Amino acid sequence: MSHATSTHPVLDPLFAPPFPQAALPMLRNPQLRKNVGHAIDVIQAKRAKLVVEKTDWQQLRSTGSAIRAHALENLGAYLEEFETRCTAAGGTVHWAADAAEARQIILDLLRKENAGEVIKIKTMTSAEIQLNPFLQAAGVNVFETDLAEIILQLGEEEPSHIVVPALHINRSQVREIFARSMGLKDLSDDPHALTAAARTYLRQKFLTIPTAISGANFLIAETGGVAVVESEGNGRMCLTLPRTMITLAGIEKVVPRFQDLEVMLQVLARSATGERMNPYTSLWTGVTPGDGPQRFHVVLLDNGRSSILTRPKQRQTLKCIRCAACMNACPVYRQTGGHAYGSVYPGPIGAILTPQLMQMHHAQSLPFASSLCGACYEVCPVKINIPEVLLELRAQVVNQERSQFARFVDPMYLGLRIANLLFAKAWSFHAAQFMGRIGLRFFTRKDGWIHSLPSIGAKWTQTRDLRGLPSQTFHGWWAARGPKSSKEAK
Amino acid sequence: MSAPVQSRQRILDRIRTATLSVAKDASQLADVYAALPRDYIRRGKLSAEARLALMIERLREYDAEVVESTPAALPASIAARLALSGKHTFVVPHGLPAEWLAAGFDWKIDHELTTAEIEQAEGVVTAAFCGVADSGTIVLHHSPAEGRRVLTLLPDWHLCILRASQVVETLPEYFNRCQQPPALATYISGPSATADIEMTRIKGVHGPRFLHVILVRDQGARPTMN
Repeated sequence: MSHATSTHPVLDPLFAPPFPQAALPMLRNPQLRKNVGHAIDVIQAKRAKLVVEKTDWQQLRSTGSAIRAHALENLGAYLEEFETRCTAAGGTVHWAADAAEARQIILDLLRKENAGEVIKIKTMTSAEIQLNPFLQAAGVNVFETDLAEIILQLGEEEPSHIVVPALHINRSQVREIFARSMGLKDLSDDPHALTAAARTYLRQKFLTIPTAISGANFLIAETGGVAVVESEGNGRMCLTLPRTMITLAGIEKVVPRFQDLEVMLQVLARSATGERMNPYTSLWTGVTPGDGPQRFHVVLLDNGRSSILTRPKQRQTLKCIRCAACMNACPVYRQTGGHAYGSVYPGPIGAILTPQLMQMHHAQSLPFASSLCGACYEVCPVKINIPEVLLELRAQVVNQERSQFARFVDPMYLGLRIANLLFAKAWSFHAAQFMGRIGLRFFTRKDGWIHSLPSIGAKWTQTRDLRGLPSQTFHGWWAARGPKSSKEAK
Repeated sequence: MSAPVQSRQRILDRIRTATLSVAKDASQLADVYAALPRDYIRRGKLSAEARLALMIERLREYDAEVVESTPAALPASIAARLALSGKHTFVVPHGLPAEWLAAGFDWKIDHELTTAEIEQAEGVVTAAFCGVADSGTIVLHHSPAEGRRVLTLLPDWHLCILRASQVVETLPEYFNRCQQPPALATYISGPSATADIEMTRIKGVHGPRFLHVILVRDQGARPTMN
């Protein structure tokens, strides 16, 4: 695979370092943190204003959640209904069990079209299956058309957010990328000029490249239709001008009815970009003679999703409509940006989605990349209880680790097992307290605090102080004065 | 072709196994769906006048230019808008009323115009299916008067004729007006925009940069609530 030799980091959970390690360079990059913080502040402020204005926000969330949960519980039936309707409308439905199969299906379709070039609407699902490097290696030139995606593609950067993927790059960095790759020496760093440069760069490609790839925001079982939500119009270009359209969609994207969009569209743009409605929403059903692509394919991707359905508490992960409100609200994401998560899905939703897509074989550090403050749950438009799933996954990770020999002798697990023994009986607990008071006395300063501990204890004290043990325990205090004080009360 | 078929079966089997305890059978599915909670606002509360005022306000927030007209004055209003634009060549859907095509302009009627011909036009004039005041959204179902999708995409300047009776207050009211789900639809909320660079909102990346709306006061011609 090409990513093995690639010089820039690829957000692949198979190879990504654990979160605490990956987060360090981000935390030491003030420019990145400033860029991320600025973007998030703007979106958050806009979102908050619009949510207050919506008096039925909580009711919309409840229905949005109920529709998505219902669709997932009956996913088999709704996917088959979608397939039937889409096929009847002239589309072709393909099923891909994993990333490799999806990539191959898409490449085969492109080969059948003799397509040496393809234009793309932003799709995180295609980033998940690493479609672009695969197609490039197979000799297909891929042109991203979303402004942020162009910045990333030309700058050989990775997405750090699922809605505004280039939010970690500021205008002067964009100017540099465009000036270099488009040969525009005199380009200014005014966002207007940069946007105009992108418009010119792409116009000819839209008009001449006859094959396009998109993702999907929603698949509609009732009609076999697909909905794509966007801002720039690059999506409409790709959906309208080419001869052939290939849509890659996760199997969880299905909603039962057309009318469900009346809920989804009300919460999606408000949560994602802080707009009452995104500039363009496109809806199409199979093939329409005389309007738009006359060949239409949908690739339904599993890639670990069906395994997430198995556990009821974790199933809610798949309700996600990819608005990114959770990462915008997350105090951890705010500090690290998206790359630290080692996945195209960063932030709180990525912390629960990525390890599950990896079937808990990779990305096990992500469920711990959270303070469990609950801000993500509060803003989620489809009420995914992310903290609940985080805890569930943490328990699974701990269970995995306990069964490994290397972990069996790990000081932390050793300590926990010893604690388990000591705390089981009152006498051993009291003995441990007694020993602890003596032992910790050497490390307790005059102010009553422990500022540094040796060995494994340093893991705690390098970032926070520890209160020294008091000279007397509550039990000791109670035994000494309990009877006396109860007599006094009478 | 055997591998893809296998994948289909494999995925559906995995899903079925995973959802065995909760999935409803086909006969119950519709009832369970119908029982989902729907306590959000479905019908607006504004008066007809306030609803139109809101639609205009929201459109203007998106930098769309809005003028009002009456059914009788519409052709003159269209002519005035076009004259103001300083543009000359316009594409129109083939189902647009002939009296809307003011004299003195170069009209290209879409009887299978090529992409290049549409691209060369300076503007486009269309009707609409619906307007949603709450979000300032214009809904196109791409009927013969609204045009194929490409018509309202390539020209940089879009004049949309919206009748007052087509304006609803809430998004659910629009969905109620769809007796059949549309095969094609485009929801337009202001001109093409991006905020990808430092969250600065920039008008006009690929779609039309200029959106003009003529709101035609036709109340009484059609009930405004259904």
